[in-house]
Amino acid sequence: MARFANGKAPYLRMADQDNKGTGIIMRDFLIGLMPVILFAWYKNGIAVFMDGNTTFFGMLYPLFFILAGAVSSMLMEAVFFFFTDPEARTLPSLMKKLSLSYAIIPGLILALMLPMYTPIWVLMFGTFIGNIVGKMIFGGFGHNIWNPALLGYAVIKFTFMGLINASGGYFNPSEMIALYDATAGSTPLVVLSSSPFSYDSIVAPFGNLWTFFVGMTPGGMGETSVMVMLVSYLWLSFRKVIKWTTPLIYVGAVFGLSWIVGALNGDAGLWFPVYSILSGGLMYGAVFMITEPVTTPKNPLGKIYFALMLAVLTVLFRFVGSLPEGVGTSIIVMNIFALPIDKYTAIIRANRWRKPAWFKIATLAVILIAIGLYAVIKAGNVYTDIILPILPFGGVM
Amino acid sequence: MFQKTSGIHIDGRKAMSKKLTMEEYFNPEYVYIHLIKNIGPLKATVAAGDEVKIGQVVAVREGFGEMNVSSSVSGTVTGIKKVWHSSGRMVEAIEIKNDFQNTMDPHIKPNKNIDSLTREEYIEKMKLAGLTGLGGAGFPTYIKYITHLPIDTVIINAVECEPYLTCDFSFILEYPEKLMKGLHHFIKAANAKRGVIVYKNYNKEIKESLQKYLHKYPNISLFEVEDVYPAGWEKYIIERVTGKTYTGLPSEVGVIVNNSSTAIVFADIVEHNIPLISRPITITGEGVKKPRNFFVPIGTKVSELVEKCEGYADGLLPTKANYIAGGPMTGRAILIDDLIVNDTLGAVIVKPFVEKLHPECLGCGKCADVCPAYLTPTEIKKAVESNDLNLIKALNANSCVQCGLCSYVCPSHVEITDAVVKAKDMLRKGAK
Repeated sequence: MARFANGKAPYLRMADQDNKGTGIIMRDFLIGLMPVILFAWYKNGIAVFMDGNTTFFGMLYPLFFILAGAVSSMLMEAVFFFFTDPEARTLPSLMKKLSLSYAIIPGLILALMLPMYTPIWVLMFGTFIGNIVGKMIFGGFGHNIWNPALLGYAVIKFTFMGLINASGGYFNPSEMIALYDATAGSTPLVVLSSSPFSYDSIVAPFGNLWTFFVGMTPGGMGETSVMVMLVSYLWLSFRKVIKWTTPLIYVGAVFGLSWIVGALNGDAGLWFPVYSILSGGLMYGAVFMITEPVTTPKNPLGKIYFALMLAVLTVLFRFVGSLPEGVGTSIIVMNIFALPIDKYTAIIRANRWRKPAWFKIATLAVILIAIGLYAVIKAGNVYTDIILPILPFGGVM
Repeated sequence: MFQKTSGIHIDGRKAMSKKLTMEEYFNPEYVYIHLIKNIGPLKATVAAGDEVKIGQVVAVREGFGEMNVSSSVSGTVTGIKKVWHSSGRMVEAIEIKNDFQNTMDPHIKPNKNIDSLTREEYIEKMKLAGLTGLGGAGFPTYIKYITHLPIDTVIINAVECEPYLTCDFSFILEYPEKLMKGLHHFIKAANAKRGVIVYKNYNKEIKESLQKYLHKYPNISLFEVEDVYPAGWEKYIIERVTGKTYTGLPSEVGVIVNNSSTAIVFADIVEHNIPLISRPITITGEGVKKPRNFFVPIGTKVSELVEKCEGYADGLLPTKANYIAGGPMTGRAILIDDLIVNDTLGAVIVKPFVEKLHPECLGCGKCADVCPAYLTPTEIKKAVESNDLNLIKALNANSCVQCGLCSYVCPSHVEITDAVVKAKDMLRKGAK
């Protein structure tokens, strides 16, 4: 008679297989980031070096910067573990904690979003905000409300933008020579928020739409290239790290809404919606942020609603607000609502659209449609034609 | 989200127990008849010292699901003891010492008027034989047949979607004709128009062995389903075969589903009056030297069967292995290898487990993706942790079938199925 171990059903687990589990998911995610890192190095280092605009060390600097982000993000979590967890004060146990917390990822993502000439200490401040304030205080991996990297980015954006602009801003040395005068030092999205809707003022200064697709435009280090992002998207979807539908729905909805906004502003050309999804960090956000598992809804219906809502908010913030970056802000805002969305959509799904869930379906639909309409009306500048004649609303909105 | 119920492919690991054919093992020294059936307790009708014959009634279940339970060997009742049951508890059982004479109870004899049996007579036979579903839930079969709703189709579930299990498969290969006969009688007992045997598409052997008999039974057909888990789920099968969905019982859409082994046993019940006294069982897993299938009397010790499989594999550490009663997805780990075969025990799997460090739930939502009942297990887990009974109800936790897929796919090894089971328990207690 032998005594056997206890356990809970099921006794077959995918996580027990060697090539499955969260560790493998995170490894695949890092592999998915590689094309972006290589592109960032090429655009800001190798290409500039080949143009003869920087030194050999200048060529290596982008890699050093990205590495700095990764290291400082690991460092922040290591310090946090060291001071809060008495069991994590030896090197092996600390490394084990860090490997189960996947500390390297927020730092990498943050570094790829920032312009190259961000001072390293600002980058470290960003990882402090992201990893400690945004992640560890909430309970560590799996418990954070905001995307840690994005929180760090937003804080940097609101506090240190002047400093970043002073030390070089979004233009790498080659772009400094080629583009700075033509655009008066503005990145595409800054131009967009201040210029009329015309191809000549929005796209022409930077080249054409192909330039945007390839990504040789001023912006964050790794977030400009749609082409590279597509490679990452295919890899991550193939490895089932991300759900392939979410980015598609998000990008599609932004495309559609931008088309309407463009048309209402007097130019129904296809170039405007195409430009909308090629510019800014939209693709970077679509592939790496809105698919981030911890801070987005967990059930498939919730993911769809989350993506639609994000698209609406992105358009709203881009065209209506005073912030140049619509994607990041909208994701930060929607991260907060991931929990209620998850709860509502889970109830709708469990009741399979039947009666008990009707109120929740209506609530979600009304919110989405109302904000969507508001965004389109405001951004489309048809405010005076449609809203103003309705007296009670005149002047309020 | 709008699509039909679906499943995912799981590596079956069935080859190991298919290598050897089914072995009939009818001579255990002692058998133990559990005094519990399905979830109802039984009342013993014999006492220590009584002589019993094969097929003699030794216990009865009263009230809802009333039925007889018969002895599976001939010999002497030596007492009532507590033994392990596949539900993971110690249960009282009648201990019978085998006299190896195999004397049959007089009522076990070939039945003459098979073709003129009425529906009521069939149901009476099921009741007297103590026939319960041999698939694993152990629901009394005759209760399915006393429905007043018109039944159109009787489906035989030969899918066996759980990994490792091959007892139904090899039982069909042993007795293909009995399966057809059993289904034929089931159809008559339900006044149904047709019968369908559902099996997994890679089990070509089932198709080959049954095809020879199809011409005799024009209203019986075969149906293939794809190799996914949980393809053996009643709802899934009915949706594939008839295209209909239901919320309560299958009879709502005019369907009765029975397990293939139940049908084979039913053929014996109708034609020879042999009650439910033996069942097929798979002894398998990486922890067993020669996995194989057995046809054994109910009440046999599993440890004897493991010995017939030449014992545990070399180097197996019991503390690093699970001893699972039932399939690996829905079964239960038993602490001591002293289990007794009962009517719902289809397999015993001995399987070493992997020790690995796992991070916390990362929220990938794979559990919600695979759920065949469209639940969101992570939300149910949260509701359980915050004791929110209303939320659990709103999240429809009761429609969980405990297939185990959510825990299976979880990359962080979260015990998510267990949380949903807890939610169902809370609902049951809260309703009282």
